[in-house]
Amino acid sequence: MNIRNKFAVLGAAAALAFAFAPAALATDLTDVGYIDQAAVGSLPQFQKANAEIAQYKAQLDQQFAAASKSAKSDADRARIAQQFQKRFLDEQRRVLGPLFARAQTAIAQVSSNKGLSVVVDKRIVIYGGQNITASVISLIQSPGPVVPPVNTPPPSEIGFVDQLQIDQVAKIKQANDVFLKFANDQKQQTETQLAKAKTPAEREQIVKTYQSTINGEQKKVLQPLVDETKRAMADIAKKKNLILVIDRSDVIYGGTDITADVQNALK
Amino acid sequence: MRSSNLPAAALALALVFLSGCSRPLDVNAPNVRGIGYVRLAEVVKAHPLYSQLSQINDDIAALRLQPIAPSLPKTGAEIAAQSKQLDRELKAAQDRATAILQSKEQTYSSREQAAIHAALVAAGEAGAGAQSARSMQTVTAQQAGEVTAQANRDFEAYQQSVIAQDQAAVTAIGHQLSVEADRKYRLRAQQLQEKESQLSLELSQRDAAERLDLRTKLSNLVLDSATRKKYQSELAALDRKESAVLDAQRVSDRRVLAAYRQRLQGETQAAIARQASAIHAQTRAKIAARRSEVGAKIASRIQGLAPQPLPSDLPAAMRAKIAQIDQMFKTKFQADAQKTITDYETTKADLDARYAALHGVTGGISGAAAAQIYQLNQQRAKLYAQIVAQVRRDAARVAAARGLKVVFVNVEAAPGGVDLTGAVKKDIESVHQ
Repeated sequence: MNIRNKFAVLGAAAALAFAFAPAALATDLTDVGYIDQAAVGSLPQFQKANAEIAQYKAQLDQQFAAASKSAKSDADRARIAQQFQKRFLDEQRRVLGPLFARAQTAIAQVSSNKGLSVVVDKRIVIYGGQNITASVISLIQSPGPVVPPVNTPPPSEIGFVDQLQIDQVAKIKQANDVFLKFANDQKQQTETQLAKAKTPAEREQIVKTYQSTINGEQKKVLQPLVDETKRAMADIAKKKNLILVIDRSDVIYGGTDITADVQNALK
Repeated sequence: MRSSNLPAAALALALVFLSGCSRPLDVNAPNVRGIGYVRLAEVVKAHPLYSQLSQINDDIAALRLQPIAPSLPKTGAEIAAQSKQLDRELKAAQDRATAILQSKEQTYSSREQAAIHAALVAAGEAGAGAQSARSMQTVTAQQAGEVTAQANRDFEAYQQSVIAQDQAAVTAIGHQLSVEADRKYRLRAQQLQEKESQLSLELSQRDAAERLDLRTKLSNLVLDSATRKKYQSELAALDRKESAVLDAQRVSDRRVLAAYRQRLQGETQAAIARQASAIHAQTRAKIAARRSEVGAKIASRIQGLAPQPLPSDLPAAMRAKIAQIDQMFKTKFQADAQKTITDYETTKADLDARYAALHGVTGGISGAAAAQIYQLNQQRAKLYAQIVAQVRRDAARVAAARGLKVVFVNVEAAPGGVDLTGAVKKDIESVHQ
């Protein structure tokens, strides 16, 4: 091979290397981690705790059924239900609380060691990211206490909002209430119509009309607020140099919380 | 000079190639940093299996349209146990009302006789004759007649109410069984449709490479007409082959479905007849039991109405006085008894409502509907997972080709990052075309 051919080959190789450069970059590590919460939840200690909770719930259900019989009104029934719900949550906190705390510390420790700025639920990552499930499980299963990391998570370009808190903004809450009332009224009317319907085709038509009415109202009442919220999120995220915003429920560790900013923007 | 020109040209080519590839997407730009996202809901809607998913969603929504029962769906054993408890409560309420009425009747009867006796003594008529007794017996006979008439009116009302309940129950069961049959039919139709879509998916995936190859060849502009025609006919043959397999499946499925509908209709009619016959038998037994119960009660009440024999030959004023006393106590007793009856009716109405709710007469989600919702949810989860798995595979391919490091779904807002939604949608659509 003469020098001209060598250069030509090198040149072509460079072209190929550049052509495939993006794919090569894809193997680079990112500061985004994810965890399979279902795998953590299936650890023996979580399963045992869940079985204990289930047994407690079965007993509580029986007591609830007996207590409900003495209810004299809907309000009374709701009060009893609330009492039993509180008892259940207290027990759940007592049994699962320490396990969750240990898992949370293990996630923080592993994330800190790997320099992750955010850890999310596996369900929302469909490509790439660092899977830290095995490391976290190994730390949870290790003997002795899990030591929390010294450092707090580094700033993340992945933001998050707590949708439940956003829903409490006065105008959103009001719109939700209006829509729920509408949906409830429609449901009752539809049930009356369904009770009178004589053929499956008639019933199907009634259900279709109901669904279309509900969808129409949803678009009219809620969609403008959904759009406004998304715009507010995008504006705030841009100002804070965030790349994406996800829901609080999908974030397990780190991330940048912009809930309060979005709430203020919507007021 | 010449020898250095060639590598320069190769490098230039590399740069051109590179610029061609990278211009639309700089994955390392500060507002991207290797992050991409897919709007999953939109891609799912573009998937060929989405129509089935949507159908399942509609079915679940339709089932949920029935009013929500106050508590969780109950098992058959729980319903039976609670029914027994309600029956016991109803029987206790009946016995309580009967005992109170009997006690009141005795009290008023004693007080009436004491009042009559006091009136006779005060008028110096303690030895009054049999005429008065006959007169009182006439009153007693009238009372007995009234008791019997009232009991018969009660019995007729009961009979009518039981027959109305019987008819309502038969209608409700007929309706429920028809809805259930309809639901089963739709489920079967849906399963077959799912199978057809799956088959279509498999066929198109199996032939995807060959089809793509033919299309690539056909996109060559310099192809001679004979070769073009050959490729076109090969492509058409491929389409025909797939269509033929699918059509055969559809014809077979239609036959299966028609036979299934016929079988369901027969089974539903038979089940309605069976249930109706059981309900009618229960109704007849209830009416017969109430008839003998009413007969026994009339006899007992009439016995209770028999007054203490009165002295004979009473003067008219005395008879009037006694009749007045009798009327006064009857009125008082009726008013007092009415209160007991009202209390009992209130208790019974409450028990009836609880009984109806327990058995889903008011339209609460019955065990069968809850089971169907559960089954549909399972089916939905499976189908959704299948769709998402394919979206994941396609998104991973697109993301890798573009050099992204991580791709998210379920994003609330995205001021940065790369939106892969369109590319993934196109990818999925091209596979299934």
